[in-house]
Amino acid sequence: MEFLNFLLILWAAWLIWRRPERERLAFRLLVISCVLMAVLFLIGTHGSLVPGVNL
Amino acid sequence: MAISEDRLRAILSWIVIILVGGPVTGAVLLGVIHGDSPCILCWAQRTSMVLIALVGLFVIRYGPRPRYLGMVILLGAWGTFMAIRHSALHLARDVGQGFSATIFGVHTYVWSWVIHFTVLVVVGVLLLFLRRVAPDGGIQEPTRAGRFATGLFMVVVGANALQAFVSTGPPPYMGQGDPVRLSLDPKHWVWAMEELQPPRISLRGSWDIPAPDPSAVDPDPSKGPLVDLPALSVARWETVDVPLEGRLSGLAFDAASDRFLAITDGYGVYLLDGTLSHVVHHVVLDRGFSVDLTPLAGAAFLGGDTLAVLSTNKSYALLMPDPDAQESREWRHFLSTDGRMTELRLSRFQTVRAHQMYVLSLAFDPSARELITVSVPNPRHRQLVVSRFAREDLVLASEFQPRLGAGLALRDPDRRLAEYVVTGAVVADGRLYALSAAYSTLLVIDLETKAVQAAYALPGISQPVGLAVRGEELLVAQQDGRVGVIERPAMASDEGSAESS
Repeated sequence: MEFLNFLLILWAAWLIWRRPERERLAFRLLVISCVLMAVLFLIGTHGSLVPGVNL
Repeated sequence: MAISEDRLRAILSWIVIILVGGPVTGAVLLGVIHGDSPCILCWAQRTSMVLIALVGLFVIRYGPRPRYLGMVILLGAWGTFMAIRHSALHLARDVGQGFSATIFGVHTYVWSWVIHFTVLVVVGVLLLFLRRVAPDGGIQEPTRAGRFATGLFMVVVGANALQAFVSTGPPPYMGQGDPVRLSLDPKHWVWAMEELQPPRISLRGSWDIPAPDPSAVDPDPSKGPLVDLPALSVARWETVDVPLEGRLSGLAFDAASDRFLAITDGYGVYLLDGTLSHVVHHVVLDRGFSVDLTPLAGAAFLGGDTLAVLSTNKSYALLMPDPDAQESREWRHFLSTDGRMTELRLSRFQTVRAHQMYVLSLAFDPSARELITVSVPNPRHRQLVVSRFAREDLVLASEFQPRLGAGLALRDPDRRLAEYVVTGAVVADGRLYALSAAYSTLLVIDLETKAVQAAYALPGISQPVGLAVRGEELLVAQQDGRVGVIERPAMASDEGSAESS
């Protein structure tokens, strides 16, 4: 999934560089990538979402 | 000083170059040169840095639109959280210990913390000095630095994509919690979805420990994990006959001074005479300053005049009667005092096997000069751990989980000693007498062999909170202030030694 995420980021960067008029699509890709990154992190910490220390 | 929009774009170009060319490229090089392979949490943090750089490209191309600024602040805040969450796994380990590669002696997950925090600071500074900008500046042709930043971004993110493919695989495979080193040889590639197992989701994980509640346990000895236990009966009752701040939560007896030490869940500490009817000294501890004290649960005499009281979270206070106690000095320790008590020390016990477990008892072994606690089970950790702390430095000396001695049997193979909830403990004749509120059972643990030497049912007791020894008597203190007097059972070796003497 990390591989997919980097492809999405590359796609967004390419749009910014070569197709700047597609800003809305590029920004949506950015948002999707952020959500995917957050979900993957939460999957990695599902056993304890917050730090394992005294809060 | 003010920053124009053009200057902002130039600054951001360099920030993107530094961010992508520094930590993100460095992370890839760690993989290529040293075989470092990110875990699933590292991947998310690296991706977050890349996304921050991507937002920078947006601003370089389209100007500082509010949604870009909102996104970079969200990414900075989320990245800081991720780094703290990840670093928390390793920050408290012993010296030199950590997880995977370091840069300048600092692990990558800590660098991620620094970088995300720095991003938030830099964004704040830029916004502070940014001039008012047009609502929509349109598409801007990037400067030379901007073009270089974009090109570098594409190359570095492409390299990351390649590493991600090798290290984590194509979808639906994802990063691993404990990855293997990076290799370009496909036979060493590990593509897994192990992080989706198990499905249980928890906010605090192993730290989600409820406070112990001995009143909720089953007191029926016939339902306990041990079968065919002989019963001990209460010969008579005595009563703590003084007004207490809170309910009784522990009791100790000192034969040398003929005094009792009583504690309450209201943080009251009372030195009583041998009749339990006269207060010699008393204080109420300040639970909030500066070591957190949860309700007091254990008390012991440490020899001489020193008294020890323990709270359920293994914080302890050492106290001493002192006719010359200075009121001004003790005000910070006690919410109330008779004016003749001094606090010697306030700190915490640290355990290993009993980590993340509360305790409800404290004993003192005078021959070994060690304080002893017994853990109580919780939904996360079901263990009965005896922890011993040296009197000299109050640091952990040893720990063990008692094994079952000869002549004792479990009701069925699934039952465990850890079902007992020990609320009172005392040492006598080299044995630890541990009283469990669950199943009203007295465990006799040989401190030499670390085995439960004997066990007895104690029918008729209710919510025991403390255990003391007075000569050949065991004193079972209940939460209601009553103290059951039980004849101390003779052990096999006692009988043997009696015969030989």
